[in-house]
Amino acid sequence: MAAAFWTRFRDGRGIWPAVPAFVFLTIFFIIPMAVLLSFGFTEIERGRIQDSGFTLRYLTGTLQDDLFWWVWWKSFYIGILSTLLCFLLAYPLAYLYSESGRTMRLLILVLTISPLLTSAIVRTYAWLVLLGGRRGVVNSTLIELGVISRPIRMLNTDFAVIVGMTQVHLPFMVLPLITVLAARDRNMEAASLGMGASRLATFFKIVLPLSTPGIVAGLTIVFALSYTNFIIPQLLGGGGFTTLAVQVYEQIVVVLNWSKGAMLALLLLGSCFVFILLIGLAGNRVMRWSQKEAA
Amino acid sequence: MTHSAEIITTGPSGTILADWIDRVGFGLIWALAAFALLLLIAPSLIVVMISFTETAYITFPPQGFTLKWYADLFSRQQIIDSAITSLRISVWSTAIALTLAVPAAFSLVRGRYPGKAFAGALIVAPQMIPGMVIGVALLFFGAYIAFRQSDLMLILGLTVFCLPFAVRLVMAQLQLLDPALEEASLSLGATRKRTFVQITLRQIIPAIVAGAAFVFIESFDNLTVALFTASPRGRPLSVELYNLVQYDSSPMVAALSSLEILFAFVIMLVLSRSVGLERLAK
Repeated sequence: MAAAFWTRFRDGRGIWPAVPAFVFLTIFFIIPMAVLLSFGFTEIERGRIQDSGFTLRYLTGTLQDDLFWWVWWKSFYIGILSTLLCFLLAYPLAYLYSESGRTMRLLILVLTISPLLTSAIVRTYAWLVLLGGRRGVVNSTLIELGVISRPIRMLNTDFAVIVGMTQVHLPFMVLPLITVLAARDRNMEAASLGMGASRLATFFKIVLPLSTPGIVAGLTIVFALSYTNFIIPQLLGGGGFTTLAVQVYEQIVVVLNWSKGAMLALLLLGSCFVFILLIGLAGNRVMRWSQKEAA
Repeated sequence: MTHSAEIITTGPSGTILADWIDRVGFGLIWALAAFALLLLIAPSLIVVMISFTETAYITFPPQGFTLKWYADLFSRQQIIDSAITSLRISVWSTAIALTLAVPAAFSLVRGRYPGKAFAGALIVAPQMIPGMVIGVALLFFGAYIAFRQSDLMLILGLTVFCLPFAVRLVMAQLQLLDPALEEASLSLGATRKRTFVQITLRQIIPAIVAGAAFVFIESFDNLTVALFTASPRGRPLSVELYNLVQYDSSPMVAALSSLEILFAFVIMLVLSRSVGLERLAK
């Protein structure tokens, strides 16, 4: 009996080898997520559940709060802007990768993957140095060049947060783009060039639409990461800077209002999924449109 | 192609204007690519450079050359302790994640049972949830059963967070295996056990090594899960560094960051030797 079980387990043909992972995820992921959901609709006082039962107070209270919508807008626009900036930088880099020889490809891969393995704090810290105060590199360079006469405030601004996020999340945009661009079918491009279209027109009308799956993947990942990041806003945005993700952290760790924190986390997660879905739908639209165009 | 379009763009030689637009356009594209490369590497380089400055504050370009900030780093017991805590936690989460991931990957690639797609979706589901939410959920769950923030809670949270990466890496490798090799081994008289160990397992070892390296470095660096689940006493290095970055302006922080960058390069060497960077990019 035991031997038969072992054989099945070892061959990996049945469901059994996956069961330990299921049990683990059920206890330490699914149930905690359910608890999180329930906390958004319960009164919690300093980690103690009160007997008042189910309440919609936190949901309605949050949605009626003007401050919530202001904070939400800030998270949204910071997320969108840094995602678009990421795309604007990552696409040319991924394209360069697809057009390069072995050495250049290796260089690009090393430079793209190594930041992924370095902690985000370390990379954000670099921006504190670059943008920080009077001695910041950017300011002192601009003064030396005579562009500005007095240092401008760069740290603790939206600009700093957007730049930091763009840089930290850049690899997540580059990698899916590299995958689609390096594997692309080059016949269409050759045909387009052969028919007399310019290189630039070919790039925008053939290469770009054909890489839609990679673009959608990159935009999805980077938006989700930027929208839910609370570390970079805290480090580069300064004390007064807040986003939805920062609010979740503050409510749970500082204010200790767990119900409100749980509700904000749920709204953050829910709205993030909605945007990801919209990006996916838009991607499908573009793909159908470009197929029609090609036909 | 319509006739009018042919008049505007006249073949590869092109008109002077079209040629010029092409050049400017691609010049811009290459310039953006170069800037992206610079943006990827510059911050790390700057951190490493300022870690050698002789000044007592962070400044760029650095002035002089000294290793005193590294010496300072190793004289701080709190940092040493938190580094040891982080190493211990990372070893545990790596071990648990791989123990769960490797069999699960086998089942998800080779298994034939109803609901396999759903099973696969469930196992990679944590990947869609931000680390912060995983950490918060675990913290709240703990409140229910009087399970407090601790090394154990952090290990469990990191394992949940990293499991999808490990499963997907091993799955990708399993999908590449040639079943003919295993069949040949069996038909040549090798036992199932021997075939499994010498043929199957041997071929997926690169993915297991890559998975381990990935989970280890992610556990070591992770802050989003750790801020909610780590014990307030005996904080991991990531949380310690987070506090230092906010409140300490001495170049010692740059020295610590430089060591982490060095560590990341070592991990990358392991990855490029095991599965190769091209494969990892997918």
